[in-house]
Amino acid sequence: MTLDRRAFMKASAVSAAATAAGMNIPIQASNLVTDSKLTSLKWDKAPCRFCGTGCSINVATLDNKVVATHGDIKSPVNKGLNCVKGYFLSKIMYGKDRLQTPILRMTNGKYDKNGEFTPVSWDTAFDVMAEKYKKAMKEKGPTSVGMFGSGQWTVMEGYAAVKLMKAGFRSNNIDPNARHCMASAVGGFMRTFGIDEPMGCYDDFEAADAFVLWGSNMAEMHPILWTRITDRRLSAPHVKVAVLSTYTHRSFDLADVPMIFEPQTDLVLLNFIANYIIQNDKVNWDFVNKHTNFARGNTDIGYGLRDDHPKQKAAKNADKASGSTPIKFDEYAEFVSEYTLEYASQISGVEESRLLKLAQMYADPKVKVMSLWTMGMNQHTRGVWANNLVYNIHLLTGKISEPGNSPFSLTGQPSACGTAREVGTFSHRLPADMVVANPKHRKYAEKIWKLPEGTIPPKPGFHAVEHNRKLKDGEMNVYWVQCNNNMQAAANINEEGLPGYRNPENFIVVSDAYPTVTAQAADLVLPTAMWVEKEGAYGNAERRTQTWHQLVSAPGESKSDLWQLMEFSKRFKIDEVWPKELLDQSPEHKNKTLYQVLFENGQVNQYGIEEISKDHLNDDANHFGNYVQKGLFEEYATFGREHGHDLAPYERYHQERGLRWPVVDGKETQWRFKEGSDPYVTAGAGWEFYGKPDGRAVIFALPYEPPAEEPDDEYDMWLSTGRVLEHWHSGSMTQRVPELYQAVPDALIYMHPDDARKKGFRRGDEVKVISRRGEMKSRVETRGRNKPPKGLIFVPWFDASRLINKVTLDATDPISKQTDFKKCAVKLEKV
Amino acid sequence: MNKFITLLTIFGVLTASALFAQDIATLRNGVEISKQEKSQPIPNPIKDDIKVGRNYPMQPPIIPHNIRDYQVDLNVNKCLSCHSRNRISESQATMVSVTHYMDRDGNFLAEVSPRRYFCTQCHVTQHDTKPLVENDFIDMQKLIAIRAEKAK
Amino acid sequence: MKNLIVKYWQILRKPSVHFSLGFLTLGGFIAGIFFWGGFNTALEVSNTEAFCISCHEMEDNVYEELKSTIHYTNRSGVRATCPDCHVPHEWTNKIARKMQASKEVWGKIFGTIDTRDKFLEHRLTLAQHEWARLKANDSLECRNCHNFEFMDFTAQGKRAVQQHSTSLANGDKTCIDCHKGIAHQLPDMKGIEGWH
Repeated sequence: MTLDRRAFMKASAVSAAATAAGMNIPIQASNLVTDSKLTSLKWDKAPCRFCGTGCSINVATLDNKVVATHGDIKSPVNKGLNCVKGYFLSKIMYGKDRLQTPILRMTNGKYDKNGEFTPVSWDTAFDVMAEKYKKAMKEKGPTSVGMFGSGQWTVMEGYAAVKLMKAGFRSNNIDPNARHCMASAVGGFMRTFGIDEPMGCYDDFEAADAFVLWGSNMAEMHPILWTRITDRRLSAPHVKVAVLSTYTHRSFDLADVPMIFEPQTDLVLLNFIANYIIQNDKVNWDFVNKHTNFARGNTDIGYGLRDDHPKQKAAKNADKASGSTPIKFDEYAEFVSEYTLEYASQISGVEESRLLKLAQMYADPKVKVMSLWTMGMNQHTRGVWANNLVYNIHLLTGKISEPGNSPFSLTGQPSACGTAREVGTFSHRLPADMVVANPKHRKYAEKIWKLPEGTIPPKPGFHAVEHNRKLKDGEMNVYWVQCNNNMQAAANINEEGLPGYRNPENFIVVSDAYPTVTAQAADLVLPTAMWVEKEGAYGNAERRTQTWHQLVSAPGESKSDLWQLMEFSKRFKIDEVWPKELLDQSPEHKNKTLYQVLFENGQVNQYGIEEISKDHLNDDANHFGNYVQKGLFEEYATFGREHGHDLAPYERYHQERGLRWPVVDGKETQWRFKEGSDPYVTAGAGWEFYGKPDGRAVIFALPYEPPAEEPDDEYDMWLSTGRVLEHWHSGSMTQRVPELYQAVPDALIYMHPDDARKKGFRRGDEVKVISRRGEMKSRVETRGRNKPPKGLIFVPWFDASRLINKVTLDATDPISKQTDFKKCAVKLEKV
Repeated sequence: MNKFITLLTIFGVLTASALFAQDIATLRNGVEISKQEKSQPIPNPIKDDIKVGRNYPMQPPIIPHNIRDYQVDLNVNKCLSCHSRNRISESQATMVSVTHYMDRDGNFLAEVSPRRYFCTQCHVTQHDTKPLVENDFIDMQKLIAIRAEKAK
Repeated sequence: MKNLIVKYWQILRKPSVHFSLGFLTLGGFIAGIFFWGGFNTALEVSNTEAFCISCHEMEDNVYEELKSTIHYTNRSGVRATCPDCHVPHEWTNKIARKMQASKEVWGKIFGTIDTRDKFLEHRLTLAQHEWARLKANDSLECRNCHNFEFMDFTAQGKRAVQQHSTSLANGDKTCIDCHKGIAHQLPDMKGIEGWH
C-alpha cells in the first residue's frame, strides 16, 4: 500500500511538473479510462470470509478500498468459482453502521448497565474491563470469567485467546461458536479414531462413484463443493447421488435417490445399512480384522438439559455419556440385526426400494462412496452417535482413506477446523487435540509456553450452552464475546441467553464490526476489524490452512480481535491473576504484565518488523513492534509438528493457495491413515488409525433414541432451523449487502400448503411460531425453495428482527454438548 | 496527536449520534430483544426485465425476471432453455458467459460445463424492498475518476 | 323364477302388445332423460379435480407438484383444475378421451404407476401424450382460458411480449411448445425440441 501511494504521488508530481512546464499528459483517450497507471488494480489472495469450503478469493484494492473480488483460478478448492456470497465479499466491510469507536453503557459519565451506549476511548474501555475482570477473579476466582470465541477467528486470534484465558486468567471457560456447529463431529472423530478432522480431502469429489448427503444441504451451504459433485455426477453418468433430509430442499435437484425421513430416524437408517452389509456378507473382513475394534456405547444418556429437568433426572447414564464397553463382532452383528428393512422403512417413512438403493451404495465393494454431512447430523441430540454410525459403515466395508471412499464431515465455518478445533479454543481442549484433563498434555503445553507446572487448570470449563446458563445463574460474571453473534445464534433466548446477558451482576463485552443483536445485549462494545483489514490464517474442512495479508485499513478506531486480546493483557500484572504458589515457581515472571509473560516470551515476539511483507499493511505487527502473527503461528505450530498435526513454516502459506496438514518434509497430506499418503503410517500397515494406541478404529454399537422434544397434541409441528444460500449465519455481514438482502430479505416460515390451508393460513399471512419457551412472528411461505413435508416447518436464523432462537430448545448431545437446532415442537397461530 | 484524533472522532460520532441511541442493533431497528415489530409482508420479486448494473466486472448479473417454478435438476435446466448458445436467437436472451464453458482445468468444453449447472448458486433475483442498512462500497470507476482528476 | 324371465322376455319382444304407444313413447322419452342425466352426471363427476385425485397416483405425484405453481395459486384466484387442461371441452373429443381413459383404469388396477419410482419412470411417456394432444389441437385447452385474441400485451412482461408477438402470433409455435412444465414438473428433457 505504501508503495502504491508513493508511486501515485510521484505520478501526480510528474504531472504537476509537466503541466507547469507546458506539457499536457493525456489521461483519457476516449469515453474509456485507459491509462494503465489509473486502471491497474492490486490483486491479492485471501480465503473467503464465509463457509468451511474455504474457497480462495482474489481481492482487488484501490486507494485503500476493496473494489472487486474474483474466484481464485489457482486454488484447487474452487478453481475460479465463488457462490453468490463470495461474489459480494467486496461489500461486506462497508455497511454504513460500521462501529468505529468503543461504546459503553453510561449514565452521567459513569458505567451503568442500563445506561445509553456512549462513545469512549480504548483506554477507558480497557480500564473498565480490567476493573471488572480483576474484581470478579478476586471475589470468585477464575471460573467467574468467560469468553465466547469463534470458528471465524483467525488461527492467531484463537491461539492468543487460549493463552490469555487458560494460561493468563487460568480459566477454562473459553468456548467457541463452533460448539454449535462441529462439536458432535469432533466427538465422533475422537471416539472412533482418537484424533480429530477428516481423513479424506476434496480430491474425493472427482473420484467417487456415489455421494450420500446425510441431512446436509450442500447446494446452499457448501455451494462450491456442490459444483464439484454436480460436475462429477453430470460428467460421468454412472455416478449416483442420494440425498436424505427431513424436508425437500435445493440439493434434491441432483438426487437420484431422494429420501425424506422422520426426524431423528437417521440413526435407524445408519444401523440398517450396517445390518444390510452384514446380512449380505459384504463385510470387508480383511480390513475389519486388521484395523478395527468393536464397542458398545452407553445409552440413555439424557439431553444436556439443566440438571433439574425431568428428562435429565430420568436418564440413567447422563454422567457417563461418552462411556463404552469393548465387544466382539458377533455381539455387534446381533445388536444391529433388529434394524431390518421393514423396520427402517416403517419408522423413517422412506420407501424400501430407496433404502435398498442407498444400502447398496455402501455394500457394493466396487462403488466408491462419499458420505457428506454437516448440521443435520451434528446439531442433533445424538450427534456423536450419528457420526460414529456413519464411520461404522465405512469401516465395515473398508471404504475409507482412499480417493472417492470418504466419510467426509463437512465444516460449517471458515476456520472451525483451523482455529477452534486445531488450536483448541474449547472449554476442555488445548492445541493439537490435547485436553486439559490430561496432566501430560497440560505439562506439554506449559513447557512450550514457558510457564510453571500447574498454570493450566485441569477441570474443563463451561461449554457454550452452559455459558448462557451460568450467566443467568450469576456464576459467571464477566464475559467477552468475540467474532460471533451468540445472542441471536444460541437456542432458548428468552429463558437463558437474554436473562444471562442482562443479569445486573454481569458485565458483557462484545467485539464486533457491526452493532448486532449481541452487541445490543452487551454493556461494552468494541469496534473490530474484519477479514482483509488484518493479516490472518484460516483452516478449512479439508485441513487446508490458508493465510492472507492485510489489504486495507480498518475504519475509525476499530482494531482486530488479536490487537484487543494482546493489548488488554497489558492491563494485568502477573500477580493480579496468578496465585502466590504459581508465582513462586517462576520468579522470572515477577513484576511482569500478562502481556510480557504470554506474548513477549522470546517465541511469540521473535520475528522482527523487518520480516513483514513490504507490499502489504500490517497494523497489528507495527503496533506491537514485532511480526506477531508469525510468532504466534510458529509457537502454535510446535504443538502439532511431529504429532500428526504438522504445519508448514508460516511464510510458505503466503505463497501457496494453502496446504493440507500434516505437512511433512514440505509435502502436504491428502489421505490420512493410509500408507503411501500419510507419512505417519507405519510401513507395511496399509491403514493405521494412529489416533488410537493400537492403531485400530472403533465400530460402535449405538441404538436409536428419541429426540428431546417431539410434536404432541398441543405443539403439533416439528420446527427445523438452518440457513439459506444468500445469508451467512446471523446475517450481520450479508444483510448489509443490498443485493444479498434484496435476494432474500426476511426469514420466512416454510411450510406445506396443505398444512397452511388446514390451519386457515395463506401465503404471506403473519403467523406466530410458538413453543414452550417463546414465540416469534413471521410470514408464511407455501411455495418457496424449501418444501417441508406435512407436519414440519423450516425457519432460517439469519434475520435479526425475527429471532427463531426464542423458540428453539437448548437440548444438546450429552457427549459433545452441541445444541440440537433441528428438532423441537411448536404450534402456529395467526397474528 | 492520537488523543486529538480520538477526541475528534468522538465528537464527530456524537454529532452523528442517531447510531448511539440505547438500542443499537440496526438490522432490527433497535427494537428491544424481548419484543418484536410487526413482520413486513413478503416483498414482491422484481421482474421488470431491466438489466441491473454490476458493481465490478466479475460480478454475476442479477436475474431481472421471474423465475418462479423454474426447474433446474437432473431432468432439465430451464435457464439454459433460453440462455444457452443455440437457444438465444429464438429467445433473444443474454447468452451465458463464455467462462461457463470452461471446465475445472480451464479447458473449453463443447457445452456449458456441469460445474456451472445450478445457476442460482451465483445468480439471484431481487425483491422490491428497501435495504435495511446503506452500503458505502465505492465503485472503482469513481475512485479512478477521482485519481484522474487529481492527476490533472 | 323361470316364469318371470319368460314374462319379461315376452314384453321386450313385443312391447306394444302389453303397453300403449303413449306409454312407450312418453316413458321412453322420460327414461331417456334419466339416462342422459345420469350419463352426463357420471361424466361430469369424473371430470372434477376431486375425482382425479381420488387416485393416490395423481394426488401424490402430479397434484402435489401443482401446488406451488401459478395454475394452483395466483393473484386472481382463477385456477385451473385437472379437467380444464386435460379433458377436451369439445364433446366428441371429450368422449373420445373418456374412452381412452379405460387405459387409466387398467393402470390403476394393475398398479402401473402406483409407487413414486414407477411414476418417475413413466413421467416422460405420460408427458409426451399430453404434449402431443395439445400440439395436435393447437393448445386448445390453454386457449379456452388464455385467449390469444384478447391478450393485452401492455400488461405482459417484456419477455412474454417478445415471444407472444412473434412466434405465437404467426402460428409458428403453439402454447405447449414453450410452456411445457407450466403445471407439473418436467421429465427428462433430453432431445426435446426447443429445450436444448
